[in-house]
Parts: sequence; C-alpha cells; structure tokens
Amino acid sequence: MASLPRDELPVHPLIRSKREKSYMTEQTANLEVLMRQSLQGDKQAYAELLRETARLLRPYLSRRLSFDSEVDDVLQEILISIHKARHTYDGERPYKPWVYAIARFRLQDYLRKHYADQLHHATDIADLENILHDDVTETGISYESISGEVEKLLPEKQATILQLMHRDGYTAKETAEKLGMTESAVKVAAHRAYKVLREKLER
Amino acid sequence: MADIEQLVESLAEDATRVAPAPHPFVLALKWIGAGAGYLVVALLVTGLRPDLAHALHNPLYVAELVALLLIFLATAFSAAVLAFPDLHQKQALAYAPLALFALFVLLMLAAWHADNPPAPLPVHSWQCTLSIILMSLLPGAWTFYAMRKYASTHTRWAGSIAVLSAFSVGALWLRLHEVNDSIHHVLLWHYLPMLAVGLLGLWLGKKLLKW
Repeated sequence: MASLPRDELPVHPLIRSKREKSYMTEQTANLEVLMRQSLQGDKQAYAELLRETARLLRPYLSRRLSFDSEVDDVLQEILISIHKARHTYDGERPYKPWVYAIARFRLQDYLRKHYADQLHHATDIADLENILHDDVTETGISYESISGEVEKLLPEKQATILQLMHRDGYTAKETAEKLGMTESAVKVAAHRAYKVLREKLER
Repeated sequence: MADIEQLVESLAEDATRVAPAPHPFVLALKWIGAGAGYLVVALLVTGLRPDLAHALHNPLYVAELVALLLIFLATAFSAAVLAFPDLHQKQALAYAPLALFALFVLLMLAAWHADNPPAPLPVHSWQCTLSIILMSLLPGAWTFYAMRKYASTHTRWAGSIAVLSAFSVGALWLRLHEVNDSIHHVLLWHYLPMLAVGLLGLWLGKKLLKW
C-alpha cells in the first residue's frame, strides 16, 4: 500500500473535531490577548483585533442581510461601537460573547430602522388603486378598436364596466354609482378585465 | 472592504490606553451605598413614623420592608450588569428582580387577604405618589447618569430596572415615614404608580441609554 503524506492521511472525525476545537480555542484566546494589549494602548494589536473581529462577524452578518453593501455598513457601525464600548471589556471574560452582544444590538438597530423606513415609504393601497387605473389604460389601443373583443371575451359585468368607463366616459366613481357597486370593486373588476384582454389580444 | 480597512486604521490610530470599567458588583455596591445614604439622610430630615416600634410587630409590614429592600438590592445589581453589552456574562442576575417582583406580588396578596377588617384609609391619597416620585428623582437621575457611562445593549429593560431601583428607595422611605396601615392605600397610591413608572422606564431607557 502506497503511503500518503502525513497531511493527507484520513483523519478520524473525532480527532478532526478535537483539532478544530483546539484551533477555535486558540483563536479565541488570541482575541482576548489582543484585546488586553489594545486596552494597554497597543495600536497594532488593536488594528489586528478589529480586522479579526471583522472577519469573524462578516459571515454572521451575511447570513442575516441581503446585500454586501448592507453588511459593510453594519460592520462599520459594529466596529465603531466596539471602539466606543471597549472600556466595558476587562480582558478577563471571553471576548466572543461580548463582541456578539454588540453585533446583535447594532444589527437589530439597523433592521429596525430599515423596516421603519420601508413602512414610511410604503404606498397606501388606496393610492395604488388610483395609479392602477391610469397605468393599465396606457396601452395605445382605443376602446373602439377592441369593442368587439370586449363583448366577446369578457363576462357581462366587466364588459359593461369597460363600456361605461371607456366608451361613455364615466369615471370609476360614476360607474360604481350607476351599477350599484363600490368604487374599489369597479376598479378591481376593470383591472381584471384589462388583464384578460391583454392576455387574449397579445396571443 | 477598503472602507473597513480604512476605518480599522483610523480607529487604531485613535486607540489610547483605556482603564476598564469597574466590575458590576463594585458598581452595584457603590450605587447601593449611595442609595442607602440618601435614604438615611431623607429619614433623618423627615423623621421615622412615630409608631414604628409598634408597626414592626406586624410580620406582614416587616416582610414588605424586607421585600422592598431586596428589590432595591436586586435592581441595583441587575442595573449594574445591564450596563454592560454582554451583561458581564451574568444573564441570570440581570433578570433576578423578576423573581422578587413575583414574591412581592404574592406578599401584597397575603397582606390584602389579612387586612380584615380593612385598616382605616388615610385622609391623603395622591400626595403619597407625588412624594415617592420627588424622593426618587435624584437616585433615578444618578443611576441613569452612571449607566450612560457604559454601553447597555438591553436599553429598555435597563431603563425599567434603573427606574424601579430608584423608586424602591422612595417607596422604602415612605413606608418608614408615613403612619399608615391601609394596604388598599399602599397598593393604590404607592405600588401601582411604581408599576406604571417601571413601564415608563422602558421608554426612558430606550431614549437615555442610547449610545
């Protein structure tokens, strides 16, 4: 049997897990040492600690945020927070729980602001209904040219709605009053009718 | 990535020797000492209730005082731990006051049940709430000021605990000063407002402990 180089020899999972564990412990111990040196004013150790921390946190943030730019933004905020709060770490207790507590806090802060902004910029459904009516009629096709299809392809109620709105020039509100429907129901029915017409005419 | 490297360099450039914050137990003992000193001075100025010796024969009154004292101690330790981002890795201590609040509620229920026939209501009412608020303002402001020097990541809970810690000093003072045995009055004008202020502390914490 040809002998494999030592590094390529198959390793039992238990031994691999022990080695990984020991590497992780070493890495964590290094971070603690770096932080202790940083608190003493060692600029080089501090820069190294921040780089290692950024490397540690990037995958954590990537799993929780959609874009790389967001990950970078939050990571920067976390590093600044670590800088501001470094006096709350004494170098005696494990470093990772301390740094992850700050990371979680800043991430939650970012997500809260992000969703609040999204809510702030959300469009009201009532506004959408008004836009909907305008957009779907901007097809360049006149009602007269498809009036035959309207009667043939659409259910009676939808056809009547389109006739009133596009042939007779009634607004959605007036059409609703004429047919004893609500304005929203007229808009929704018109929207469905446009969709059916578009699908059938584009074939 | 380039931005991160730039930031790392500028932060490292800014790094000077930093004195680590005191251990939370040291902080808590300092706050407890200050609170106790304030309580003693307040009682020296306003006076103890004249019937204190007699009142101390009532086990429920003694239990109430002890429970308030324990709440004061527990909230001080909890607030100190909550001032650290990782709770100084002593999570149980941060939530320890919850057990004491539960114990206090049970104690109040027992006192309510035992108040038969009900003790006469004092002539005053809201003045007690106002007195507790005024008495708690200083320790409250001081606790928030002290906590702002650190970096809480549980700002709402920390705010609520800080407020309750300050108000437990105010409540202790009033129970030792006021001649009153009506549990109805104590619940309505001492402890329910305290609960409301505890809820207000959630908001205060979010605003004042931001960093």
